[in-house]
Amino acid sequence: MSLIARHLEANGIPTVVMGCAKDIVEHCGVPRFLFSDFPLGNSAGRPHDPDSQRLTLELALQLLETAPGPRTTLQSPLHWPADPRWKLDFSNIDQLSDEEIARRRQEFDKSKAVAKQRREEAATS
Amino acid sequence: MNEQISGLGFAAEHDCPIPYMERLRSYYLTLGYGNPYKWAHYADTPFVALKKPLAEARVALVTTAAPYQPDQGDQGPGAAYNAGAKFYKVYSGDTDDKPDLRISHLGYDRKYTTADDLNSYFPLAQLKALASEGRIKHVAPRFHGAPTNRSQAATIDQDCTEILSRVREDGADAAIIVAN
Repeated sequence: MSLIARHLEANGIPTVVMGCAKDIVEHCGVPRFLFSDFPLGNSAGRPHDPDSQRLTLELALQLLETAPGPRTTLQSPLHWPADPRWKLDFSNIDQLSDEEIARRRQEFDKSKAVAKQRREEAATS
Repeated sequence: MNEQISGLGFAAEHDCPIPYMERLRSYYLTLGYGNPYKWAHYADTPFVALKKPLAEARVALVTTAAPYQPDQGDQGPGAAYNAGAKFYKVYSGDTDDKPDLRISHLGYDRKYTTADDLNSYFPLAQLKALASEGRIKHVAPRFHGAPTNRSQAATIDQDCTEILSRVREDGADAAIIVAN
């Protein structure tokens, strides 16, 4: 998505990226980035919380209006409710047993095979 | 010492943005996949200012979410990662509709969130509300979906070009791009 923002911007269309993966978006470099420090999947605000969703979009619009230059990141002041422990858990290899690692490897191989098949189908359709 | 620190109102040490690149690199290396993913990275970044106030602007929405495909298995809420629900070409939808978009094909945090509220990952309803209040002039007539599962070269050569051309056709003055 960062690549799309860059391409639109380079062609004259101002953009703002809304996202939850701060390091990945900033590593790429985008014109404007509204960062929400939430679990991945909630770039537009907390689920079932219309006030947070509205504020999140409003902040993105304000970034469009006021960013002074590229790579402007604004961090939403909102927090994910409850303990910040979710930050330790996501894809954290140190927390997984050998059996779980083996299981995930198998699962990942399976997903890759499905994706490959779908990609090939899409290419021929 | 800990007590002193907590007396200062500092947050827990791990309460900072997740270092995803580092986390995923060790995750996949330990799973047995060498040759770690190379994230897109640039030294320079383009920038253009808005050409008109948002109250006079038409705003486009770009998403990584996928249209629900009934023949492609469980797509949630709460579904396991579903590679079958991926899509491979840019698609567009009418912003006057209420599209049924899912993110089961993406690596979102399945332990702490279930993707059971479209508005937490696709802010179309919010954008329409702000348009009706005059905060922006119009929502662009279409939203656009970007594939996430292809090579970076395909994203740059095909998807970026396609989305730019659709956003231009829609006469959009600015774009909101929602990653998930």
